[in-house]
Amino acid sequence: MTDSKYFTTTKKGEIFELKSELNNDKKEKKKEAVKKVIASMTVGKDVSALFPDVVNCMQTDNLELKKLVYLYLMNYAKSQPDMAIMAVNTFVKDCEDPNPLIRALAVRTMGCIRVDKITEYLCEPLRKCLKDEDPYVRKTAAVCVAKLYDISSSLVEDQGFLDQLKDLLSDSNPMVVANAVAALSEINESSPTGQPLVEFNTNTINKLLTALNECTEWGQVFILDSLANYSPKDEREAQSICERITPRLAHANAAVVLSAVKVLMKLMEILSGDSDFCATLSKKLAPPLVTLLSSEPEVQYVALRNINLIVQKRPDILKHEMKVFFVKYNDPIYVKLEKLDIMIRLASQANIAQVLSELKEYATEVDVDFVRKAVRAIGRCAIKVEPSAERCVSTLLDLIQTKVNYVVQEAIVVIKDIFRKYPNKYESIISTLCENLDTLDEPEARASMVWIIGEYAERIDNADELLDSFLEGFADENAQVQLQLLTAVVKLFLKRPAHTQALVQHVLSLATQDSDNPDLRDRGFIYWRLLSTDPAAAKEVVLADKPLISEETDLLEPTLLDELICHISSLASVYHKPPTAFVEGRSAGIRKSLPARQGSAEESGTAQPEATVIPNQESLIGDLLSMDIGSSIPTPAVSAQPTSNIDLLGGGLDSLLGGGSGTDLSAGSVPTTTGLLGDIFGITTTSTMYTPPKACWLPAEKGKGLEIWGAFSRRNGQISMDLTFTNKAMQAMTGFAIQFNKNSFGLAPSAPLNIGALQPSQSLETGLTLNTNGPVQRMEPLTTLQVAVKNNVDIFYYACQIPIQILFIEDGQLDKRVFLTTWKDIPAANEVQYTLNEVKGTADTLANKMTHNNIFTIAKRNVEGQDMLYQSLKLTNNIWVLLELKLQPGVTHATLSLKSRSVEVAAPIFQAYDTILKLV
Amino acid sequence: MGGLLSYFRGLFGSREMRILILGLDGAGKTTILYRLQVGEVVTTIPTIGFNVEQVQYKNLKFQVWDLGGQTSIRPYWRCYYSNTDAIIYVVDSADKERIGISKDELFHMLREEELQDAVLVVLANKQDMAGCMSVAEVHQALGLEALKNRTFQIFKTSATKGEGLDQAMDWLANALQNKK
Repeated sequence: MTDSKYFTTTKKGEIFELKSELNNDKKEKKKEAVKKVIASMTVGKDVSALFPDVVNCMQTDNLELKKLVYLYLMNYAKSQPDMAIMAVNTFVKDCEDPNPLIRALAVRTMGCIRVDKITEYLCEPLRKCLKDEDPYVRKTAAVCVAKLYDISSSLVEDQGFLDQLKDLLSDSNPMVVANAVAALSEINESSPTGQPLVEFNTNTINKLLTALNECTEWGQVFILDSLANYSPKDEREAQSICERITPRLAHANAAVVLSAVKVLMKLMEILSGDSDFCATLSKKLAPPLVTLLSSEPEVQYVALRNINLIVQKRPDILKHEMKVFFVKYNDPIYVKLEKLDIMIRLASQANIAQVLSELKEYATEVDVDFVRKAVRAIGRCAIKVEPSAERCVSTLLDLIQTKVNYVVQEAIVVIKDIFRKYPNKYESIISTLCENLDTLDEPEARASMVWIIGEYAERIDNADELLDSFLEGFADENAQVQLQLLTAVVKLFLKRPAHTQALVQHVLSLATQDSDNPDLRDRGFIYWRLLSTDPAAAKEVVLADKPLISEETDLLEPTLLDELICHISSLASVYHKPPTAFVEGRSAGIRKSLPARQGSAEESGTAQPEATVIPNQESLIGDLLSMDIGSSIPTPAVSAQPTSNIDLLGGGLDSLLGGGSGTDLSAGSVPTTTGLLGDIFGITTTSTMYTPPKACWLPAEKGKGLEIWGAFSRRNGQISMDLTFTNKAMQAMTGFAIQFNKNSFGLAPSAPLNIGALQPSQSLETGLTLNTNGPVQRMEPLTTLQVAVKNNVDIFYYACQIPIQILFIEDGQLDKRVFLTTWKDIPAANEVQYTLNEVKGTADTLANKMTHNNIFTIAKRNVEGQDMLYQSLKLTNNIWVLLELKLQPGVTHATLSLKSRSVEVAAPIFQAYDTILKLV
Repeated sequence: MGGLLSYFRGLFGSREMRILILGLDGAGKTTILYRLQVGEVVTTIPTIGFNVEQVQYKNLKFQVWDLGGQTSIRPYWRCYYSNTDAIIYVVDSADKERIGISKDELFHMLREEELQDAVLVVLANKQDMAGCMSVAEVHQALGLEALKNRTFQIFKTSATKGEGLDQAMDWLANALQNKK
C-alpha cells in the first residue's frame, strides 16, 4: 500500500456528523445542528463545506433558526459565491414576510453578503423594503443602500436608490431620517469624484433639524455630522441652524456634544464675528466643553485634543476657563501633557500669575516627561506673554537652583529661546547658567548653552576658557553641538579677536580636517574663507541681527487647522492629521474646508500671521544651524580682495574652496525658512499665456463635411476655446450647438456657440468662453474633454485634450512659509519626479516664462552650483501643486519634483512644463 | 424485519415524504407547488434558489422542494437528491424548442445514484395553452419509453386551471405507499 493511505481518512468526522444532523427531519435537531455549526465557525473552524445543508435550513418559521442561518450566510457567502445564489429566493420571500423583524433581518443580511453574482437579485427586495410600512425595515434598508453602494456604485445610481434614500429624509420617523442621512453621507464620502452625489438644500436641512430633537443619541450624531457638511446660503440661515442646534450642547453623550460643537464652529465662520449672536454663541460653547473634562480620562483626552484645535481657531471661547485645564495629580500622563499644551495656548497677561505658579508646581513632579514639558511651557509663556517674561525667567532660575539634572537642561534650552526673543535683557543670569555647565549631558542643552556663550561672548569674561573646555571633547560631541561650537568660537573671535586666534584656528582645523561631517566641514570652510578674505563682512554675516521669534510655536498650519475643524469629533481631530493621511483608499479630492464668509474674501485665503522663526523641537536643529545668518543680509562678497590684517589663512585654501558661493549654511537639502534667500518674484500682471496652435479636432470626413480646428487659451484669467468651423460640404449648415461631457475639471461653455449659418466652403472663427462650474467626472486620462457639436446635419462627437496650463489660476502664488509647511505636510508618497529635457535659458528666464503661465516662483536658491526654483500653482478646482525645479548650469536636462495632495495631476503638469520650457 | 418496520410506519403515516419538483425555468414548478399547498394560483417570480413547503395530501405529509430551473441553478439540483422519495418533473408542453434540453436534463438526473429508487411523475404542464404538445407527444419527445426499472407515470396538467394535479397526486400517493 502506498503512502496515500495516510491522507485518506476512514473517520467520517465532525463535518459529516453535522451534515446528517442538518438534514434531520426534526426541527429541534436541525436547530441544534446549526448552533453547533455556528459555534465551530466562531472559533475559527472551517465549516464552509456545510453551505448547501445550512442554506436548506433557511426556509423556516423559526426566527431563531433563521437568524443563525443568516449569520452563517454572512460569514461564508463569500467563500461559496456560486452556491450563494440558492439563498436568493429565500431572501426575496423573507423581504415580504408579515413579520417586520424578518423583513429587516433579510434586507440587512443581503447588504452584508458581498457577492457580485447575487447583488442584482437584491435590488427588487431592497426597493420594496425602502417603502416598507414599518420604520425599522425602512431604516435597515437605508443602511443597506450605503452597503450596496460600496459593492456597486453604478447599480445604486442606475436603480434610483439615491432618490429613494433622499425621499427617506422626509420620513415621518426620526430614526429612519437619521439612518438615511448616515447612508447618504457615507455614499457622498466614497463618491469617486469627490463631489457629493446628493446635495442638501434648505428644505432637507429643515427636515433634518426637525428629526434631530426626536431621534436617539447616535442618530443625532449622524444628523449633526451631515449638517456640518452643509453650507448655508446666507447668514440668516446659518443663524437659525445655530439656534436649533445649540440645545444639543447640553446632551449627556459626548459624541453628540462634540458633533454639535463642530457644526457651530463651522457656522461661526459664516456669521460675522463682531455680532452679538456670535459672542453669545461663543459663551454657550464653553460650558459643554468644560463638562467633557469631568468624564473618564479617555473621553477627556479626546475632548482635549479637540479643544486644542478649537483653542487655536477661536481662543476667545475658553479664555476664562484656564482653571479646568490645571493638571490633577491623578490624571493619566497623556491627559496631563495635553492639558499643559492647552494651558500654554490659553496663557495671557490676565492669568499668567496663576499659570506660572501651577507650572512651577508641575516642574517638581516625578514624571520626567511631564516635568520637561512643564519647564518648556514656562519658557513658552515668557515668549508669549511679554510682561511676564521677567517672572518666568526668575521661575526658571529657581528651577535651575534645584539642580535636578533634566530640569536644568530643559531650562537652559528654553532660556536660549528667551534670549532670542528678548535680546540684551536677561544677560545677568548667564553666570548662573555657567555654573551648571558640567551637568549638561544632552546635546540640545549643550548646544543651547554653547550658543548662549557665543552670543554673549563679550560679557562672559571666561568665554574662551569655557569654549575651550568644550573643544577638548569635540570629536565626541553630537553634530548639533559641534556646529554650534564652531559658530560660537567664530563669534567669540569676532567679538574679542585679541586672545582667541589660536582657539578659532583650532576649531576650524577640527571642523575642516578632522571631521567626516560634510555640513560641519562646509561651514568650517565658509567661516575660514570669510574670516580670511573680509573680516568686516564676516562680522556682518555672523553677528547679523537675528529674526525675531514669536510665540506661534507648533501652531498648526492654518489650512490644516481649518480642515481639522471640519473633522472635529473624529479620529482626524485626535491625530491632528487629515483623514487622507491615515485612511487608505480615500480619494484626495474631498478635503473639507471651512466656508468662506461672504463679502470678506480678502480675509479668507491663506492669511498668515506675520510671525517669524518657529523654534519648535523639530526645527530647532535647523534653527540653530542657520540662526547666525539673517534673511536680510546681503550676499557676502566672496570675490573681495583679501584685506585681512590677520593672517589666518594658510595658502592653498582657495583651491579647496572652489565653486561654493556660500549663501547656504543650512544643513541638508530641506529648505528652511531662513535658507530661502533667493529673490522673490512679485506677481507680474500677465495678460496672455502660451496658446498652443490649433489642432484638427473633427476632420471633414467624419463630420459629414464639417471640419473643426480648435485650441484652448487663457486670457486675463478667462478660459476660452478658439474654434474654426469650415464647411466642406455642398450645402449650408445651420443650427450649431455645442455641449461638453462631464469632465475632470468641470469645464463647460459659459455661452451658447456663436455661429449662425455656415455656407459651403466658408470658414468661421469663434471663441467660446468656458467656465469651470460644470459637472465633474474623473476622466482617463485626466485632461480628456469629450465634445458634442450639433448642426442641422447630425451630431458629431470628438475628444480633445485640455492643456492643463489653461487651468492654472492667477492667484497661485503661495506665501513662502505656507509653501514650506505645506511641502513638509504633504506625505512623501505624494511626491513625483520627472526629468525635463532640452531645457534652455537661465533660471531667471525660465521663472519668467513660468510666471506668464501662472506658475509662480516662490523662491530661488543656489545649492552647490545648482539652481533650485521653488514654484507653486493652483488649479481651477483649488488643487495646490508645489514644485521644485533643479537646474544645473550647462546641462540641458532638469529635475522636477512635484508634491500635491492630488498627485493625479502630475502627468499633465509635467507635460505643461515640457511645453512651456520649449517656448522661445 | 424491515417489512415490519415499514408496516408500522405506514400505519402511523408519520414520516414526511421528500419530493423534489424539477424542470426547466418557466415550466410552472412554483405555481404547482403553491397550487398543491394552498390550492390557489399565486403570482410567482422566477425562483432564484428554492422553495420548500409542507404539503398534506389525504393522510400523507410531503416535504416538497421546488428548485429553480435557471441554467445557473441546475448544477445545484444534485445537492438535494439524497433521501428523495419522488421527483415531479414538470415540462412546459408549449415550449417545443427546449423540450430536447428538458429531456437531457431529465436523463442526466435519472442517472444519479441517489435517485435510483425515486418515483418519477412527469407533468406535461400548460395543457391549456393553444398549440401545445399532447401527452403522447411529450412522452415521445422526452423518450420516456426508454425508461427501465423506474416507477413512473406521465400526466397532462394545467397548474393555473388546476387540472390533472389531483390525478397525479393520487397516483403518486399510491405509488409511494406501495413502495414501502
